[in-house]
Amino acid sequence: MKIDRTLVVAHKEWLEIRRDRLFLSLCLIVPVVLMLLFGYGLSLDVENIPFAVVDHDESPASRDYASHFSDSRYFDFRGRLANEADIDGLIAANELRAVLVIPPGFGRDLAAGRSAAVQTILDGTFPVRAMTMRGYVLAINAQASMNIALDWARTRSGADEATLSAIVQPVKLETRNLYNQPLRSVWSMAPKLIMVILMITPPFLTVLGVVREKESGSIFNIYASTVSKAEFLVGKLIPYVVISMFNALMLFALARYLFGAPFKGDFIFFALGTMMYVVCTTGIGLVISVLVRTQTAAMVIVAIVTVVPAALYSGAIIPIESLSPAASALAHLLPAMYYAKIATGSFLKGVGATVLWPNVLVLAAYAAALMGAGYLLFTKRPRT
Amino acid sequence: MSATTIGWRGVLGSGLELVRKELLQLRRDRVLILFLLYVFTVDIYLAGSGLSFSLHNATIAVMDQDQSQASRELSSRFQAPQFNRVGAPADPRARQQQLDTGSSMIVMEIPPRFQADLAAGRQADVQFLIDSSNSVLGLLAGSHAAEIVGRYNLELGSARLAMSGAGGSLPRVDNAQRSLFNANQNEAWFMGIAEMLMLVTVFAIILPAVAAVREKERGTIEQLLVSPLTPMEILLPKVVAMTLVILAGITLSITIVLRGIFDVPIRGSLPLFYAISTLYIFTTSGIGLFLATIARNMAQVGMLAIMVLAPMMFLSGMWTPPEALAAPVRALMSISPMHYYIDAGFGVLLKGMTLGELLFPLGAMAVLGAAAFAAGLIRFRRQFS
Repeated sequence: MKIDRTLVVAHKEWLEIRRDRLFLSLCLIVPVVLMLLFGYGLSLDVENIPFAVVDHDESPASRDYASHFSDSRYFDFRGRLANEADIDGLIAANELRAVLVIPPGFGRDLAAGRSAAVQTILDGTFPVRAMTMRGYVLAINAQASMNIALDWARTRSGADEATLSAIVQPVKLETRNLYNQPLRSVWSMAPKLIMVILMITPPFLTVLGVVREKESGSIFNIYASTVSKAEFLVGKLIPYVVISMFNALMLFALARYLFGAPFKGDFIFFALGTMMYVVCTTGIGLVISVLVRTQTAAMVIVAIVTVVPAALYSGAIIPIESLSPAASALAHLLPAMYYAKIATGSFLKGVGATVLWPNVLVLAAYAAALMGAGYLLFTKRPRT
Repeated sequence: MSATTIGWRGVLGSGLELVRKELLQLRRDRVLILFLLYVFTVDIYLAGSGLSFSLHNATIAVMDQDQSQASRELSSRFQAPQFNRVGAPADPRARQQQLDTGSSMIVMEIPPRFQADLAAGRQADVQFLIDSSNSVLGLLAGSHAAEIVGRYNLELGSARLAMSGAGGSLPRVDNAQRSLFNANQNEAWFMGIAEMLMLVTVFAIILPAVAAVREKERGTIEQLLVSPLTPMEILLPKVVAMTLVILAGITLSITIVLRGIFDVPIRGSLPLFYAISTLYIFTTSGIGLFLATIARNMAQVGMLAIMVLAPMMFLSGMWTPPEALAAPVRALMSISPMHYYIDAGFGVLLKGMTLGELLFPLGAMAVLGAAAFAAGLIRFRRQFS
């Protein structure tokens, strides 16, 4: 394999990309647009949930309890309903997503030191949203319950505040949210979006670039030339790796400065990990393009092997621990999961090579295996 | 009079011929057929199975510095399915390491003298460190912990109150939660339907775009254009053929995957869902035709399709509800036909809504779709005639 011949192939590929203006601008714009859309559009924060109350008790206690919900920033109080009959229809029509139902006798039960039962009816259509709402309801209810108990103890016992709070709350739970203290979903998502976008776009560019030669027939020039297999493959890849690295830099800047995600780790290490990952994903494109003959088939196969796994089996939205054994095995077979750890670690956790090196090693091995597969599968004597 | 009738029949006849031609062409594209079969069955199955958004198996390590009965009682309450106990770190450095590497998501620290403090009626502090690099899970872990400790406190507190002489138990509110339409929060229902509606959108845009660009690339479009057919008569059969293919895909997914495997209770009327889908596919194909008039080759149309599909998907309301979005993004959402299709699709399939209740999303979908189709048609006509 000669360096200068490889560079000639790379140069030729670069010229070809540069001269297809629409393609070049799409190469550079698509990742940025995807990042903006995902960053703004995929907010998993659930706020301003349209919320109503059915209060059969109409007591000061029930109003006080309901106000814990309507005063929080998570729920947007839309009013009171006279009875439960309308709830299903209003939730079905997306007018409301949560309704608190307080039965008669609520205030009386609490005043007697008994437990009172209420019900929250949630829109369960979208499980992520429903889960988050459940989380809010649990937390607000725990807080409200504590306040009620505190008030109750205060009226019964003459003890001072410190003793009262020790009575009502023997164990004080101090929760600290590490790495993403304000629980902002865009901070969590930004590093993973870099992973998802770099999983999808580099293989797309690569297959379109390589299969184009096959479809137009210009690949026969390569078959007939003195350029060796390795020189052709590496030369073809270089421009796409360079473009993808440039895209990675843009994505990093957007995550860091537009979405404000903190970057606490080592930039050089992150860049190295990103490089390995990009070589992997372009390599996936390379192997696919060696196997197929038409650009349509190439795009279709890239879509299958990248989009769904990158979104669902990489820990981007659903953590690996929550996946079923089969899905988890699939996640371990793809490079996305390892890079997700590198990106999240570098951005939010501020850890570097000492903790993350095994992931980089896996990516390097993956890249080498893909290059090897591409080399073995590519032939200058295709069966026609 | 009779002449016009024959003429009209002739047009209809040639239209049907062209639909047949399109279907034949699709059938002979083996890769495409296999791909369609794959996505409308296996892909939907993969998307719906084995995924869980809830707090499930969250790894928790307990640093129990008290090793007492009380501390073990508290820590034993963090149980499956939400939590999964893993080995405790020995010291603060190991604790940091464990959180950094992700080998545990939560570390709970119970202080020494925990039991002694509780016995003496003092307040005991328990630290709960959560790796919140996934914000949703961080929130859920914190809420569940607050709930568990709240119950524990209630039991202890009532005992303390009795000791202090006030007597009785502490009041408490139990908030039971009920999820409508999907009571057990079966993710497969949501993901299965969502994936199907998403695929319908993808194909409604890509199939006509690819078909038109292929004719463009091969030059066969010239043949069609010199024929005595109007652009509408050329395009309509294509769109009809694609619509039929996608409807067949929907049928596969609903019967085999959604109903057969995931047991989705189809609560509304299936004919209504088919009617809505037909309207949607037909009108959305205009976007695909529009893209085909901009692109010169497959590579370009592929990239353009991603550019259009990605925002449509993320602004469909499937992942993020409209009320959580900023006003300008919400405005964008309101012009995405997919947003209304999602509302109507889930409305019929899962919520059992009827035509009368869906008039708004359907009307919006029809108007936006008609605009998209008209735009595609006008550009196509301008480019070729």
